[in-house]
Amino acid sequence: MSTKPATKIPNWKKSFGDKLLQILHPDGVISSDDELIVYECDGLTGYRIKPIFVVLPKSAKEVSEIIKLCNQETIPFVPRGAGTGLSGGALPTEEGIVISLARMTRILEIDIPNQRVVVEPGVVNLWVTNSVSSSGYYYAPDPSSQLVCTIGGNVAENSGGVHCLKYGVTTNHVLGLEVVLPNGEIIEVGGKTLDHPGYDLVGLFVGSEGLLGIVTKVALRIIRKPESIKTLFASFDKVEYAGGAVAGITARGVIPAGMEIMDNLSIRAVEKTVHAGYPIDAGAILLVELDGPNAEVEAQTPIVMEVLKENRATEIRIAKDSDERALFWKGRKSAFAAMGRMSPDYYVQDGVIPRTKLPQVLGEIENLSKKYGLRVANVFHAGDGNLHPLVLFDSSKDGEAEKAEELAGEILKACVDVGGSITGEHGVGYDKKRFMHLMFDEQALETMNMIRCAFDPKGLCNPGKVFPTPRSCVEAGRTTYREHPIEKSGLGERF
Amino acid sequence: MADLLKEIINVVGDDNAISQSPELERYAIEGKTPKVVVLPQTIEEISEILKVASSKSLAVIPRGGGTKIGFGREPNRADIVLCMSQLNQVLEHEASDLVAATQCGITLKAFQGVLKEKNQFLAIDPPHFESGATVGGIIATNDSGPRRLRYGTMRELLIGIRVVRSDGAIVKGGAKVVKNVAGYDIPKLYVGSLGTLGIIVEGIFRLYPIPELSQTYIVSFSNLAELQKMVLSILNSSLVPTCLEVLNPTLIDAISDQLRLNLKKEKYALAIRIESVGKAVRDQVSKVKGICGERGGEGILVEGVVEESFWQEIREFPWSMSVSNRVICKAGVLITDVPRVFQALGELSSNSGLGIYSSARAGNGILIISIEGEMSPIIEATKSLRNLVNSLKGNLIIRDAPADLKSQVDVWGEVGESIKVMERLKSHFDPNGILNPGRFVGEI
Ligand SMILES: Cc1cc2nc3c(=O)[nH]c(=O)nc-3n(C[C@H](O)[C@H](O)[C@H](O)COP(=O)(O)OP(=O)(O)OC[C@H]3O[C@@H](n4cnc5c(N)ncnc54)[C@H](O)[C@@H]3O)c2cc1C
Repeated sequence: MSTKPATKIPNWKKSFGDKLLQILHPDGVISSDDELIVYECDGLTGYRIKPIFVVLPKSAKEVSEIIKLCNQETIPFVPRGAGTGLSGGALPTEEGIVISLARMTRILEIDIPNQRVVVEPGVVNLWVTNSVSSSGYYYAPDPSSQLVCTIGGNVAENSGGVHCLKYGVTTNHVLGLEVVLPNGEIIEVGGKTLDHPGYDLVGLFVGSEGLLGIVTKVALRIIRKPESIKTLFASFDKVEYAGGAVAGITARGVIPAGMEIMDNLSIRAVEKTVHAGYPIDAGAILLVELDGPNAEVEAQTPIVMEVLKENRATEIRIAKDSDERALFWKGRKSAFAAMGRMSPDYYVQDGVIPRTKLPQVLGEIENLSKKYGLRVANVFHAGDGNLHPLVLFDSSKDGEAEKAEELAGEILKACVDVGGSITGEHGVGYDKKRFMHLMFDEQALETMNMIRCAFDPKGLCNPGKVFPTPRSCVEAGRTTYREHPIEKSGLGERF
Repeated sequence: MADLLKEIINVVGDDNAISQSPELERYAIEGKTPKVVVLPQTIEEISEILKVASSKSLAVIPRGGGTKIGFGREPNRADIVLCMSQLNQVLEHEASDLVAATQCGITLKAFQGVLKEKNQFLAIDPPHFESGATVGGIIATNDSGPRRLRYGTMRELLIGIRVVRSDGAIVKGGAKVVKNVAGYDIPKLYVGSLGTLGIIVEGIFRLYPIPELSQTYIVSFSNLAELQKMVLSILNSSLVPTCLEVLNPTLIDAISDQLRLNLKKEKYALAIRIESVGKAVRDQVSKVKGICGERGGEGILVEGVVEESFWQEIREFPWSMSVSNRVICKAGVLITDVPRVFQALGELSSNSGLGIYSSARAGNGILIISIEGEMSPIIEATKSLRNLVNSLKGNLIIRDAPADLKSQVDVWGEVGESIKVMERLKSHFDPNGILNPGRFVGEI
């Protein structure tokens, strides 16, 4: 435990802490206020709760023992990776502990011929690619936070990135998991091989936001680097034109690795800070990245150019080398950070719409912006319709934070109205649980609760997240029908 | 009994129910004849049927095209067969979004037909395409084909779903967008759930454009080790094949003449399918030829109708060989362990005289194996294969087999500790155990 004596902690906490110390090395239990502060929130800093302890286990066995102890003492626990989540998923629970996986950072196995890497959950996303890069492979899901976020966090959030149009998101690249269930049992689901019998529990765990258990080992698929990559940059007078180009490209049968749009406000923010060479007056810019075998990329490039022109691109550039390509991307990748210079505060929204609804929804966002008198900058993974509107506000001005939040909520409503989703990659967490009813009716929420109850009947694992209102679990005993001896012997039947 | 039957039949109307012999017998599942077969016209009717069935603990066997109705364990009971064939409408095809929604009683063939009008397709090629496999049945069994190398399985393609739960609740999961992380991934839970968690009534899918050109290069090897080197060097290259299939000599013997391909018998063959824009296909094919040539392999290039029938044969072979005494299995192992399984198949067949046909998705580590002969050696062979595959940390599932075999070898094999979670899921979703009772893993 920390060197500073924990003052004034009630007896039950102290005795709980002592029990944790029987499981973990002293440096694996954090209890002092100044160290706990770090864990009060994740990337969504507006919500803060101080946990009673933070524990840093080093193995699945330790995680299991901690969870068993939590069960005995009815203490809720919240898993945490790097804390970069943007929906408050790793926000601690009152009177609960945080289980940080930050010390489980080993890459356990690199198996190039079988295209698999097995890691512990605290391994940082980019380390995976770094570990196989020299063999010509990479790990495809590439969230912008990949320098710090963990694979465990990626699994929990089903994170995406800028290349998921063609290559899919985390769930398409996770094949096996070791999980400590909310009752402390350790199970393995899936594996390095495919098609395991039974329900797709791997598919359920990915994107379950830490509510179904703690992931302690992950088997990932790695893929071959493409032979050729070509990045095109186009500017447009209006965002709608850029949106039209995106729909046009897929309609022509071309599926780029990624397509990203930024609007004028974002362009200006970025140019002020990183000088990516974006035209400051453009209504929007579009980045299109093609990858694959040389001949395929060569054949697709003129098609994309044609579509860009048809949609009134005012300027088209093709990156001539990897330096220029990096420059094109630099602006996009620093968009969030740059926004800090445009406004004292901003709120990152994350909604999804069908590609074809892009012009319509962008129009609605513009109207909302006018209605609320707040600026909204648009940055988005246009290829898969994942919008990241950034609502700019000044929290020192009375009521502006609330207005921003309200505006951001209305954007989600617009997304759902056209058949989309309230979150494409950041998760529901704490922040968006109140919007779940926009997408899901009572039956759907009840169904999700059945899943949660099958894993965590006591509701101790990351409680208070995802579900709009607290739900309890009905004990589902084995009421499964068993043949009555009379029926079995053929003497009678139910009908 | 009559009252209950009537209550069920009333939901769909007399015209949409079968309750008399001999028609009923045609719907028997592993020898169990249902009391009634219903063909609901709407989702609401399905909901009504399930409400009644749930309250009276009547076992419901969902049925699509009936092509895989023998998949799974023998059901404990079979009271009502619920046919999905009337729910067969495509609901939406938004080509620019590369997304389509359909009712799940539609056959894959009919669905592909509609999508083709806008030059797109659902990127999945499971067996029973011609014989009426439905989209819902493919989801429920997570069936797939050689193209999974490039496009994955239903798991990757299904983005939204509507199901009717055992209590009649109509539930939606997912959305019309490819990227969506709101709530649990309900579509994935239903892929491969074999109808044990609810009736899958609608699906929303991500689509792909139909590639401009497809060509397949087929090359023979007598030496498994050489062949495997070839497979690994293709996987480890910048080539992007859609299929990479290895056929064992017995299978080649069986299909070569019929396809008039003149493939070298008594050898293994590797088939590499490339699909893309024309130039990219030709470019990659010539690279494939280069790699093969270096290793002393020489092959033939097929496209068009010939190519199509070749892949059709690979998809369908276990079922098109109509033999009553046979078992069809699917093994999943590491890519690098595929040759070991092939080797074991060769030894098994020379020791026991069984006919063992096999085709491997070499880039996925999946082998489809069909064993024919006398029942008792087949059973021994299946057991020994499962032992081998399990020792390689893979698994072996029986896709189709006579009841005799199923009573002696578990269809699914060991699931491990996670079975407890699966049982709990089942008991929450289907507390009365009415949906396909006993057919799934651990007798779920
Ligand atoms: C600048 C910035 C850019 C970003 N860009 C993207 C982007 O492009 N795409 C994208 O998808 N996201 C993005 N994010 C969001 C965030 O980085 C991802 O959600 C990431 O996956 C979170 O990982 P983490 O390790 O920080 O997890 P945390 O924030 O610590 O936790 C996230 C959730 O996972 C749970 N969790 C963590 N570890 C485990 C475990 N081992 N087992 C079970 N549950 C666990 C937590 O309880 C919590 O609910 C961005 C964030 C920032 C700050």
